[in-house]
Formats: sequence, C-alpha cells, structure tokens
Amino acid sequence: MKSDALRGHLDALLLATLDGGQLHGYAIIEALQRRSGGALDLPTGTVYPALRRLETAGLVASEWSTVGGRQRRTYRLTKAGQRALDAERTAWREFTAAIEGVLGGGPWPAQA
Amino acid sequence: MAGAGVIDEYVTALDRRLRGPDPVKDDLLAEARDSLHDAAAAHRDRGLAEEDAQRRAVAEFGPVTTIAREYQGLLGLAYGTRTLRSVMLVLPLAYVMWELNRAFWIGAWDDFDAPPPDWYLTVARFNDASAWLVAGAAVLALLVGRRLARTRVSTVTLARLAGVVAVVAVGVSLLGTVAILAATAYLDAARLFLSLPVTAASAVSLAVALRLAVLARRCVVFSSV
Repeated sequence: MKSDALRGHLDALLLATLDGGQLHGYAIIEALQRRSGGALDLPTGTVYPALRRLETAGLVASEWSTVGGRQRRTYRLTKAGQRALDAERTAWREFTAAIEGVLGGGPWPAQA
Repeated sequence: MAGAGVIDEYVTALDRRLRGPDPVKDDLLAEARDSLHDAAAAHRDRGLAEEDAQRRAVAEFGPVTTIAREYQGLLGLAYGTRTLRSVMLVLPLAYVMWELNRAFWIGAWDDFDAPPPDWYLTVARFNDASAWLVAGAAVLALLVGRRLARTRVSTVTLARLAGVVAVVAVGVSLLGTVAILAATAYLDAARLFLSLPVTAASAVSLAVALRLAVLARRCVVFSSV
C-alpha cells in the first residue's frame, strides 16, 4: 500500500490499535501490520512521531512502564482519543458505503 | 562491523542530527532504540542472523534523514510548548511581583509632585498591558496548537508556529520592559533608584524578559529543519 495513501489515515489507524488497551510502540507497529495483513509498509520510525503528536493533541497518553520485564513507553487512548476514534469510524463507514455504491457491484447497466 | 553495532550506529547517527531539550531527545532515542531491538528480536525469531536482523530492523525504521526530520519537529514542538508555557506563567508573575513591590515600598506613582506627561503614561499603559496580552497570546497559541495537532499539520509546521508566536510575544514583552525603563530614566532617572527592592525587581523583570528571549530564539533554531 502506498505510503502517501496510508499517511492520511495513520492517526486513525494508530487510535484504532489502542482501542483494546494500552500498548508499547513496537506492539502498535506489530498490530498495524497484523491487522492489515502486512499491507502497511510505512517506515516504522514514523510511527513514534505520530504517536507523540497524538499525545500533544490530547488523544493519547503515554508513560514508561515495565512490560515483559523491560521498561517501555506505553500508550493508551484518552477519552478525547476514544471520541475521535468513534468519529473516524463513523466517517469511514459513510465514506466506504458511498464509494462502494459507485465502484462496487460490477459494471452499471446500460441506460435506456 | 559486529551486528551489535548496527542499531547503535543508527541511533548515534539520529542523535547527531537532532537538536533540542536533552530529556525529550533522550526519551525519543531510548524509545527508538527499544523499537529497533524489538524488531531485530522478531527477525531473529524468524531465523535471521543477529547482524542481518539488526540491518533489517534499521531498514524498516526508515532512512535516518527522513526520521530525523520528524523527530526534530517533535523536539522543536516540545521546546516551543515549554517556552509558551513559561511565557504564560512567568511574565504575569513577574509583573504582579513588581507591582506588589512598588506598592509596598514606594506607594502610588501619583504621589509624585508633578503628574507624568501623556507620552509616559502611554508607555506605562503599554508595559502594563503587555504582560497580560502576551500571556493571553501564549494561552491562545497553546490551545490552537493542540487543535492543529489533531489535523494533518506536521509537527515541523507546529514547531515553527510556536517559535514565531514565542518570538513575537517575548519581543513585545521585552520592548515594554525596556521602553518603561528608558522612559523613566529620561523623565526622572532617580525614580529608578527610589527603593532598592523595586530596583532589584526591575532588574529581575529585565532578566526574565532577556531569558525568555533566549528561549524564544532557541524555539526558532530547534524548529529549523
């Protein structure tokens, strides 16, 4: 998948990976790759600045904590982040439904 | 090169390209290093040798120049945010402390024999208002920046905006402080030395404004990518 297309949705994708609970950075990257079937090939180093920007925006919060015996910075959704994710999901469903109505279902019947 | 050095070399190269507050930079680099070691471990589990695993992890992380630009944006934004918070808190505090000092040690300015000329009152009102105007501008910039961070505006752009607001805000404050000191010296230099605590408070106000000017300049430097 093209990086440019992905970058426009990266914030929403990152929020979605945190919907199930707090994760550290590499676990977020693994979740993105797993849930996309490996289609997301963005440089992993760009994920961390995106997470910090979401933190600046108040949509995620982070802290150093011990995970698997190691100190890691873990991220979680804030209430504002949860609301933003819900809004993104609603907008995405409306968008895909509209596009599916036009592109899906094969060739259009010929006009009389 | 030993495999253990691939990640270290990458993080060192990233470190060399970054300028900004050390605690934030160290935090970002520690997280990057952790992520690279996690990725390398995952590749080792899939059968790659140590050095190949680290090279793959580094390649996936992205070109150091590209990643450094994104990290530098974060560092600039962190410094800009910190500076705007300082402006928001320190300038009104310095102003209030000076006014309390003056009221306690000298009393009202209108106790003087001759009322000051209009131009002096204009300078004084500008200086009085500047602390609150500048603090208000900093609060507004922080709130707007927080909203913009939810859009596709890059951290580099946000950092530059914070730097511009900081420079203008601190410039206005410094101008107000210097103007009232110069105007008072021109009108009646003895008023600057009526009370040692008030003179000291004036010196502190000037030092605070100059220190904030240094911070604002760094905002511009750190947001330059």
